[in-house]
Amino acid sequence: MMDRNLSTVSASFTKSDLAKYPFLKESARYFSPIDLQIEDLISPDMHQILDRAMERVTLAITNFTVRPSNTEKHVIKDLQKEIFSFPVAIMLVAATNNSLIKKRYALAEAKQATSEMSLEPKDLLLKIAFDFGWKITLSPPDSKYEFTLYFTSFLQNASHFHAAKWKLINRKLSEGNVYLNKHDVERLLQEEIKQRIEKRLNNITLDQYPPEISEKAEELKKLAAENLGQGETDFPKIIIQEAFPPCINTLYAAASKNHHLPHMGRFALTTFLVNIGMSAESVTELFKSFSDYNERLTRYQVEHIAGERGSGTKYTCPQCSILQTHNVCKNRDDFCKRIYHPLKYYKNKTDILSQNQSETPKENSDNKNS
Amino acid sequence: MSSRDFVYSKFSEFYNNPSTVIPAPSSLEQREFAYLMFKERFMVRHKRFENIQAFQNVLTRNVPSDVYHSCTYYEKPDLEMDKKGWIGSDLVFDIDADHIPTSCGKIHDEWICQKCKFSGKGITPEECPVCSSDKFSVKTWPCDLCIESTRVETAKLIDMLTKDFGFATNELHVFFSGHRGYHVHVENEAVRSLDALSRKEIVDYITGLGLSVLDRDTKEKFAKSKKRGVTAKNFKLGDYGWDRRLKIGMAKLLSSATSDELKSLGLKNNNLFKNKDVILKRAIEENRWDTVSGVSMATWLKLVEQVKILESANIDTVVTTDVHRLIRMNGTLHGKTGLLKTEFAAHQLDAFDPFTQAVAFKKGTAKVLVSDAPKFRMGGATWGPYKNVKVVLPTAAAIMLILKDRAEVST
Repeated sequence: MMDRNLSTVSASFTKSDLAKYPFLKESARYFSPIDLQIEDLISPDMHQILDRAMERVTLAITNFTVRPSNTEKHVIKDLQKEIFSFPVAIMLVAATNNSLIKKRYALAEAKQATSEMSLEPKDLLLKIAFDFGWKITLSPPDSKYEFTLYFTSFLQNASHFHAAKWKLINRKLSEGNVYLNKHDVERLLQEEIKQRIEKRLNNITLDQYPPEISEKAEELKKLAAENLGQGETDFPKIIIQEAFPPCINTLYAAASKNHHLPHMGRFALTTFLVNIGMSAESVTELFKSFSDYNERLTRYQVEHIAGERGSGTKYTCPQCSILQTHNVCKNRDDFCKRIYHPLKYYKNKTDILSQNQSETPKENSDNKNS
Repeated sequence: MSSRDFVYSKFSEFYNNPSTVIPAPSSLEQREFAYLMFKERFMVRHKRFENIQAFQNVLTRNVPSDVYHSCTYYEKPDLEMDKKGWIGSDLVFDIDADHIPTSCGKIHDEWICQKCKFSGKGITPEECPVCSSDKFSVKTWPCDLCIESTRVETAKLIDMLTKDFGFATNELHVFFSGHRGYHVHVENEAVRSLDALSRKEIVDYITGLGLSVLDRDTKEKFAKSKKRGVTAKNFKLGDYGWDRRLKIGMAKLLSSATSDELKSLGLKNNNLFKNKDVILKRAIEENRWDTVSGVSMATWLKLVEQVKILESANIDTVVTTDVHRLIRMNGTLHGKTGLLKTEFAAHQLDAFDPFTQAVAFKKGTAKVLVSDAPKFRMGGATWGPYKNVKVVLPTAAAIMLILKDRAEVST
């Protein structure tokens, strides 16, 4: 499978580049997903590759990297093994069927790539960016900014960042191009790489893996449980209103008083309540006081949002920046400054409240945000 | 004949007239079509057509009050939402007088509390001054000043879309909405696939949300300082994007505003007025903001904040971020006015007059009993004001008054 005739493919990356950046499309010259049979993974001459793949994922979970720190600085000895261990690692991670591991692995690979890229010349970055279909050009040597990137390529990645400096409004935008330095491009590529790997992981849907792969996947799951925890989606079993973020409190108060809510406000309130564990029925009840209330329609919409209807996807609450855009973010408090999502606010606040409760008698903090 | 029947018959004549041309949107067969039934008042949705003629036949048969198509391209536009297969969506902007403060103060709009029937004119209050309910029925009016206010916002939007975002003018489709505002559709291959989050960033750019002219360190240092009297050492504005807009806006404001006008904007430091020549030269032109005496960091930041408000464009944020949006179809009638949604070239924005160029009903007259109408223009002439009078008006004027609940057909 590794002896495919390569003469027809024009090489723009070296094999050593591909060993560092195995997620590039051109790596397929050395392996093809079609050629890769699951049984191959467990053949005796593959165990070295399997070991290296296992190492990638293990390091991702434990150290947030995919290459041992004792690797001689950025020199990889067995290029073929290195390249091929990547799709095998993808298979292993997919076999865990654990979204936390998937996210962690994709991010670790992306971070590794970014640390490699920081040592690369600009034209190699340009080639990597082309691999992702970016509209990017290198600026002339005397210009203040090193790259110009078309704003759509910028947005597809930067819109996932929270810092003010990544907002388009705070960028040098002219004629559709965003002016960037090399470090910015590396950071944006990291996001792009992470997304590509996550997508690949989520596209693999096998019902069954060979026992050897499943065994390793089990090991990884154990390792993840020890190192990554359970994720942060566990909310208290009861609804704790004093932990609501101010935006939700404002909406909740308006809804309770029979005041009109704009569409985005209603959506934010419903998704928030459904996600922290309120039943679709109770949410429908809350909206009953609206003059434009239509029980059948409201129930339908709320159940749809709760994932009990239609495609079955439970909608999540919009993040803070979306609520800001639509003027639903109200009465921001100090706590808001440290979070990017209303559910995260609730989670952190309930954690703090339950800690306080176990230490000291509960204080009455009603109307704190009103 | 009832007023409603009269308007229906005119809408029907319009859609049945062989000389009525409704321009086909691009990639028509990938778009969802929808229309609101005139009499039954329900929305027919999820329709797909092979060509414009097929759709026009439906309009002739059904005579809807309002007609829409999706900004979105679907694999199967006629299936239900989950199964349509999203391909992409145009980038659309809606600027509507309903959502923005206008220079007329909306004095022509009338609101009536649904609960206690208390009524008033102007901007609808948050809650009823008598019974505190927040449900009102509102009679709006498309006045020249309302439309002028939206035109100013649209001009700012178009300037950003062409200069900052680099869209060619032939990629921008600019329309009078048919009521009291404008639509801008961007049809460009690269923006089609943008997700809602990316579109949100474009919205924030246009509306000025999240603008931060200081880098993080300077910002944090400034926040921790006493603020008063901190010099503008690290205050710099570049030559691109919002930095450029701020400089142009500052120059415009400082060269034209009086000292009192600046104060009314909250810019109380009189040095902004007294030293404006120095500011224009040394600060705005040469980027040496800390050399202007008597103007500290805090004042520059206040000026930035005010200029940002003046230079940003007031768009409907929900329309642009929605990647499944239906939008009124070009060349069709608006059910609240009887005017047409009409496209014109971007550079015609100043010259375009909705009350002559978006008029659909150019022939005939009708006798109506007008309850209450301000002075208005229609078809090149001025009419009104009217209060409880019977008048014979051109069809277009009569239809608008009826649709605005200001008149009834009279015998």
